Amino acid sequence: MTAIVSIKNLHKHFGNFEALAGIDLNIKKGEVVCIVGPSGSGKSTLIRCINQLEPFDDSSKVKISGVDVRQDETARAEVGMVFQSFNLFPHMTIRQNIVLAPMRVQQLSEQKANAVADELMRRVGIESQADKFPRQLSGGQQQRVAIARALAMGPQVMLFDEPTSALDPEMVGEVLDVMRDLAVSGVTMMVVTHEMGFARQVADRVIFMDAGKIVEAGAPDKIFDNPEHQRTRDFVNAVLQH
Amino acid sequence: MYSSAFRLRDTAAYILALLLLSGSASAAEITVGANVGNVPWEFQDAEGDYVGFEIDLVKEVAAKLDASVEIVNIPFSGLFSAVQSGRIDIAISSITVTDRRLESVAFVQPYYDSAQSLTVDSQSDIASLDDMRDKVVAVDTGSTGDIWTTANTSQYDFAEIRRFEGIVPAMLDVQSGRVDGYISDIPGLEYFIRDKPYFTVVQRIETGERYSMILARGNPLADQVNDVISELKRSGFVAQLHREWFGSEPLPDSSTVSVIDRPLSTSVGGTDAGFVQTFLNWEVLLNSYPLLLSGLSVTLMLGAISIAFGLMLGLFVALVRMYGMRSASIAAKVYIDIFRSIPILVLLIVVYYAPPFAGIELSAFTAAAVALSLVSGAYTAEIFRAGIEAVPSGQFEACHALGLSYRHTMTDVILPQAIRVVIPPLTNNCINVIKDTALASVVAMPDLLKQANQAQALEANPTPLIVAAVMYIALLWPLVIMVGRLEKRFRQEFSQ
Ligand SMILES: Nc1ncnc2c1ncn2[C@@H]1O[C@H](COP(=O)(O)OP(=O)(O)OP(=O)(O)O)[C@@H](O)[C@H]1O
Ligand SMILES: [Mg+2]
Repeated sequence: MTAIVSIKNLHKHFGNFEALAGIDLNIKKGEVVCIVGPSGSGKSTLIRCINQLEPFDDSSKVKISGVDVRQDETARAEVGMVFQSFNLFPHMTIRQNIVLAPMRVQQLSEQKANAVADELMRRVGIESQADKFPRQLSGGQQQRVAIARALAMGPQVMLFDEPTSALDPEMVGEVLDVMRDLAVSGVTMMVVTHEMGFARQVADRVIFMDAGKIVEAGAPDKIFDNPEHQRTRDFVNAVLQH
Repeated sequence: MYSSAFRLRDTAAYILALLLLSGSASAAEITVGANVGNVPWEFQDAEGDYVGFEIDLVKEVAAKLDASVEIVNIPFSGLFSAVQSGRIDIAISSITVTDRRLESVAFVQPYYDSAQSLTVDSQSDIASLDDMRDKVVAVDTGSTGDIWTTANTSQYDFAEIRRFEGIVPAMLDVQSGRVDGYISDIPGLEYFIRDKPYFTVVQRIETGERYSMILARGNPLADQVNDVISELKRSGFVAQLHREWFGSEPLPDSSTVSVIDRPLSTSVGGTDAGFVQTFLNWEVLLNSYPLLLSGLSVTLMLGAISIAFGLMLGLFVALVRMYGMRSASIAAKVYIDIFRSIPILVLLIVVYYAPPFAGIELSAFTAAAVALSLVSGAYTAEIFRAGIEAVPSGQFEACHALGLSYRHTMTDVILPQAIRVVIPPLTNNCINVIKDTALASVVAMPDLLKQANQAQALEANPTPLIVAAVMYIALLWPLVIMVGRLEKRFRQEFSQ
């Protein structure tokens, strides 16, 4: 079976600065991968390259279900993305936020798009907020809307870039709960996170990045309890002390 | 070109002065208003000094009264209000004595018998008024030429009357072919074309008009000036001026040589018109109302069209500037910068007067709409750009991640948010465009300001201008209030 996400020799430069220094990574269907690492290590950049928010070097290749993201514009619609800052559309209701892309990109009828939206709003627990505007919701609720909006396109893989970092502590749990449910139900996920507890519990694989490279990857137990590399050990110790 | 630009600025200065109602000049100094450029009566010579038949005359009159003279340049249609408000003591500008004018201002005895004339391009085949059937006539706003032409339009079947603010812009349009003939005072015309063989005066139109100076009603200076003029006629000074400026002897029985009575108003009533009589004259208001309404509709039409085109142009230019290819983006920026730095009045005159020389015919309305749209488009583009840039980049990224096309990203997500930011500045821009339509009067557009000017000259009373001001305010005040409300609402929306 081919990988859902296949990354080969990914290099990314910002001017002369090399933010990604050769990343090779395959993600299987249904796999949940958490990406951890110090600030500036290239985690966000990696995720943003996958759905073409950042261009990358010519020699590199990123494929979604075998389709080169640079060759086929529609490939990015196969990738759902959840941002740290939600990025909901403030002039639209929750329902409108969710149905926009299915109707515009997949040409779903309003009726069908609404059915999809109803199902997803129930799934992330915001069904009673359908006709409110984003600013009327709490941060946790807004992030759950953002998850539903991304899921509405039926993506093959969901990317999360620190989805709980902008939230008040008491709201982190409700978002992680939704993500846990997604993981259990078989959604393929790549999650950049500082929530080590979540990573340990949910991830099939944890990837530790530093200076634009994957230093170490493996099962959560291995990375958190028994890392091979000194850099991984230092990072894990520093994070777990908090 | 520039003379008409300056004239308009003077109109503005004059209106300001009118509103401030500055008091009369001191007795030792006589302030004289004149429509400078009205050859050979009052104009500037090569050194920039004011010269002319009436300048010489008024200076001599002042000298006999032991007073000094200060000349103020005021457009013809503004002279009456300037006298009435006390801003100036005397107005000269080959002003014809009419009963209408006598009701509002005082005249001294006339000193020149005149007539109107039809001037055409020498190459045209118009030989007389009868050839002007279905043709376009140029006149000076509110002048006796205007009055005569308006009264005789049906008799001669003129197609249209275009109103100008002086001989130079009117003659430019005769030359460019936009108008077919110019009806104006004969002495000025003959003097103006004496070195311009490409114009010909084809007909003298007898109107029995006589020129004199005006003062405010009840101003005691009028009798003194009148006495001095009698004296100057007897001494041959006025006849000498005629020889000097026209190169010919005045006719024996003409008002240039014979002493005559001061023309007085035939209507009974107080000699000194009060504030309300002058500025809020009900009768004048009723007379001029239709004219003002037609002006208002032209102003609204021109404003609406310029705003609509400016919006489309501005949005297009903003998008090209932000997302177009490099060369297109640079072109958009150059356009924006140029049209934001060019004064609208200058652009208007260029757009109106330049294309005919390249064989392109633009009507006054089209020229004004083009100029206003171009400038409005430049400002609108910058407003849209600021609005789009105010939308956080996360919004673009979310659209991209959802796979939305560029068009849908713009129409569904970015522009609806940008609109909220841009509506207050856009409304401000609309207000400016509507105000700027008043500048179109320089290219003979019958807009609200132009019609008000014409009406106030015809009535010799400033009430139409006051009414026009009220109309502008009634039109724009709601917009101004709306801007304030919208700004407040969007501020609240975004702060949440
Ligand atoms: N647009 C940009 N221009 C220049 N440099 C950038 C840009 N975006 C990121 N970088 C640099 O690339 C490197 C990787 O950035 P990235 O945002 O991927 O880090 P990260 O691992 O997500 O860090 P954090 O945990 O702080 O989010 C950093 O050194 C950053 O300064
Ligand atoms: Mg990051």
